[in-house]
Amino acid sequence: MAKKLFGWIYTGLLLLFLYTPIIVLMVMSFNRSQYNALPIEFSLKWYKALAGNEKILQATINSLWIGAITAVLSVILATSLALGTNLAGRKTRTAMQSLVMLPLTMPWLIMGLSLLLLLRSLGLDRNFIVLLIGHLIISLPYSALVIIARVRDMGKETQEASSSLGASDWTTFYRVTLPMMLPAMLSGGFLSFMISFDNFVISYFLIPTGTTTLPMEIYSSIKFGFTPEMNAVATIILLASLSLIAVTAAVMRSSIRALFKSDKGDA
Amino acid sequence: MLISFAVVPLFIMFAYSFQGDDGSGFVGLANYARFFSKSFYLKLTLKTMRMSLLVTVISLLIAYPMAFILAKLIAKGKNIILMLIIIPFWSSQLIRAYSWMNLLRDGGILDIALQHVHLSSGEGLGILFTQTAVIIGLVHIFCPYMIITIYMTLEKIDDSLLEASRSLGARPITTFRRVILPLTETGIISGAILVFVPCLGSFVEPRILGGTQGSVIGTVIEDQFFEIYGWNFGSAIAFLLLVMVLASMGILSALRKRGVRING
Repeated sequence: MAKKLFGWIYTGLLLLFLYTPIIVLMVMSFNRSQYNALPIEFSLKWYKALAGNEKILQATINSLWIGAITAVLSVILATSLALGTNLAGRKTRTAMQSLVMLPLTMPWLIMGLSLLLLLRSLGLDRNFIVLLIGHLIISLPYSALVIIARVRDMGKETQEASSSLGASDWTTFYRVTLPMMLPAMLSGGFLSFMISFDNFVISYFLIPTGTTTLPMEIYSSIKFGFTPEMNAVATIILLASLSLIAVTAAVMRSSIRALFKSDKGDA
Repeated sequence: MLISFAVVPLFIMFAYSFQGDDGSGFVGLANYARFFSKSFYLKLTLKTMRMSLLVTVISLLIAYPMAFILAKLIAKGKNIILMLIIIPFWSSQLIRAYSWMNLLRDGGILDIALQHVHLSSGEGLGILFTQTAVIIGLVHIFCPYMIITIYMTLEKIDDSLLEASRSLGARPITTFRRVILPLTETGIISGAILVFVPCLGSFVEPRILGGTQGSVIGTVIEDQFFEIYGWNFGSAIAFLLLVMVLASMGILSALRKRGVRING
């Protein structure tokens, strides 16, 4: 019993460590005072200031676009990869999968700057396409993990049954395979979106001059000190990502579990 | 195709590292010579390694008991706690660094709270913009990885194995050292890879939480690319960082393979 109690106390302390900074930040975003003065005086001042901040709004829209495009592309790629490698032999499969997972272990700093150098050695300026490629490289592993795990669990029997009953390959794909994979594709898409939306390092190196993303705006304003407006931005992002997580978890409980199962195998 | 976008640029980076920043073309190993001739850069490398090592060890010390509690002590509510540990993963690293800045700065919440209980003198905590702040921030970000990897190996250990050890007269500490620890070695090493390697390449947390004291290899590379425009020298440093990353990954995976072999 004493052991159990100790266990719960330790768990509590750990969660306290993980959550205190985030919760303090959220609470402070509603505080009128600029210097976190206590007691808290409730105010939506910082949110109002935010709503009038054109620069941040534009950066948010950019981030949403980049995240959405990245998510769609990475789901398409991950799905074809999962289906394709499933047909291929065992060796090709493991080789392909470890290649896709490679960016997980490479520091983003190196990834970003080497892509920038690629551009320069081709004599090109920073452009949107390479920015997207960068985002795609870092978010593909996450959607691939979820979708590959799903395809592996699915087995080939249903598809074989479908084609032996006379369905064409295409019919089998969109009447049988696709519906079975859809939850994994959705949650893979959400994951990729969040990786891309939150990513700072890749955008920092590759974004065309004059454009920004939300994480870049955050970085440039906190690099030089403390700005209370950022409390509000952070709170909105946190709440939005929490709801995305909730949706993802609801859509596909098993694929999240699979994600961590396969994490162990590859990491 | 996409893979070539991930690999080819690394060779270009390598090629860049042999050229001079003044446009003088091929300079051979001059950039590397510059790096190794100045004690500043060597110290920086050591500092980066020490920081990453400290973060890894602290994460391990925090994570191991937590993983053990989750795997062996708590049955009810385990999945919820796991979820809670994983969730902060998905919030942006910038925001988490910023939230610590908020908490730790002089006149910040922690400072005020400690003054209320008369633990702080009111002259400020003096934690923000030190190495300590950077390490706290990095542990906060990477500790969950360690918990998950260790938890997954611990969960696989059959309870009957622990009982067998106990009934054969082993004290708890012996059971831990001779049975549990060897069986979770692979989890520890996987966790170490997931913590140590990203720490080597981090520059956001050191910059935001460490201020001027926070410079590590990552921040120097950032400066070379964004402030000084010493792209070629920056490439040389980045290549050395890549070598460090690959070397530490190689060593750790070799250790893990050995562990897998021993455990069958």
